[in-house]
Amino acid sequence: MTALVKVARLHLVDRFSYTWLVWGVLAFTFVINLAIFAVVPLSQPSGNFTGALVTIYIFMIVIGVQAATRFLPFALTLGVSRRTYYLGTVLLVVTLCALYAAILTALWALEGATNGWGLQMHFFRVPWILDGPWYQVLATNGVLLGLVFLFGLWSGLIHRRFGLIGTVAFAALWVVVGVGLVLLVTWRQWWPAVGSYLSELNVLAASGMLALVAAALAGGGYLTIRRITV
Amino acid sequence: MTPIVQIDHLTRRYRGQLALDDVSCELQADTVTGLLGRNGAGKSTLMRILTGQEFPSSGSVLVDGENPLENDAVLRRMVFVKESQVYPDIKVKRVLEAASWFYPNWDADLAAQLMDDFALPPNRAVKKLSRGMHSAVGIVLGLSARAEITLFDEPYLGLDAVARQIFYDRLLADYAEHPRTILLSTHLIDEVADLLEHVLVIDRGRIVVDAAARKVWHRTGIGSLASATVAGPLDDLARARARDLGLEVAPVSLQELVIRSARFGTGIGTEQQPERISA
Repeated sequence: MTALVKVARLHLVDRFSYTWLVWGVLAFTFVINLAIFAVVPLSQPSGNFTGALVTIYIFMIVIGVQAATRFLPFALTLGVSRRTYYLGTVLLVVTLCALYAAILTALWALEGATNGWGLQMHFFRVPWILDGPWYQVLATNGVLLGLVFLFGLWSGLIHRRFGLIGTVAFAALWVVVGVGLVLLVTWRQWWPAVGSYLSELNVLAASGMLALVAAALAGGGYLTIRRITV
Repeated sequence: MTPIVQIDHLTRRYRGQLALDDVSCELQADTVTGLLGRNGAGKSTLMRILTGQEFPSSGSVLVDGENPLENDAVLRRMVFVKESQVYPDIKVKRVLEAASWFYPNWDADLAAQLMDDFALPPNRAVKKLSRGMHSAVGIVLGLSARAEITLFDEPYLGLDAVARQIFYDRLLADYAEHPRTILLSTHLIDEVADLLEHVLVIDRGRIVVDAAARKVWHRTGIGSLASATVAGPLDDLARARARDLGLEVAPVSLQELVIRSARFGTGIGTEQQPERISA
């Protein structure tokens, strides 16, 4: 256990990425959005919607990639096994995502209480996805953050192990899977069924399913790191 | 003398290329061993397999009786500083701070002294360091860790002659106080000759020399008109004949030995002492 904690701590030695990169950029985006909506009139009667929360997810992917490309060779030099490195990193992901989700949820609650920062702005309150009781928002935030971090981590590991060609193939695989699913649904004429399924889908259940996807990504990353060389 | 590392018929094949070809040797505990050879001879591959970072195609490596691959109990006793070590994008002092968590015997005073010796700026980001300073970070890390098994893979890249001498001096001084198993790969052979107790010479993936350093190295004067290097000691009759012919017989320097054995690919065993005959 202590070895895992050491690896988690090793990542946190990069103070810049985990503080400024993630929260600084989000704060900057937030202030810009606030300034814009303070000036422009309401676009819809229900309030102003921004998709700017996506920045934090993008930076979580970046940190995930960094964990694989820059920290892995350093950790191996310090006598850490691949397995310990990976488990320690996942431990960090889970802890960080819980913490970050808690902060996002607190801001979400504050945004609701202040009627969108007095501007009816929806920054942390994303319709349907981040909507509903607080525990649901907390769960969704946590799962989404973990999902993108693990995706970045796996992509970085693929790059380390299989190089550029492998990374391109990895990206192509996701496209093929996506297009394949669309074609399958179209061919079997399942669109109405899919539509009604999605409209009836419980957000909590959706988060649960995404958590399973995140676990699958974590498993993929583990299989990739097992025979990686740096 | 007890072997702490045992390498048995180790082979590593990359696509169509043999990086290590049936290598068998041992590292003695608390000894400074030099791993010498040309670029691409297989030095790095061997060290990477020793530390579980690379996978053998066949054969085995045992560190203190255990396979190091994915074995935390063994790996945490080792530190391996590579020629172009990759660090996270952080300051020098953070690199050393992070490294100190992983080594129970980490010596912060030694690290501070070495930083001073190499004039390393603690607050500079590693990626902004010059080539030589980047190498110095690895040296500070590798020595201060005081790991039971310390491996340096050509750690001096970009370091000037003075800084390299500081490295050799510090290595020797700290080794004298805290004996440990050190494996140092290099092709600057003459520089490290005085440092080594044991020598492994590797050429095209094969160990061609495996001997105590005092047996294979002896400094000779300036070369004469012609010289030949023979593998193995000459018997008394041969010596007498050589003397009659006005030939001079002398052991070869370590560097010369490596050059000779690499060029001709001749294997020289522990019991043989190569000598040079010059006229």
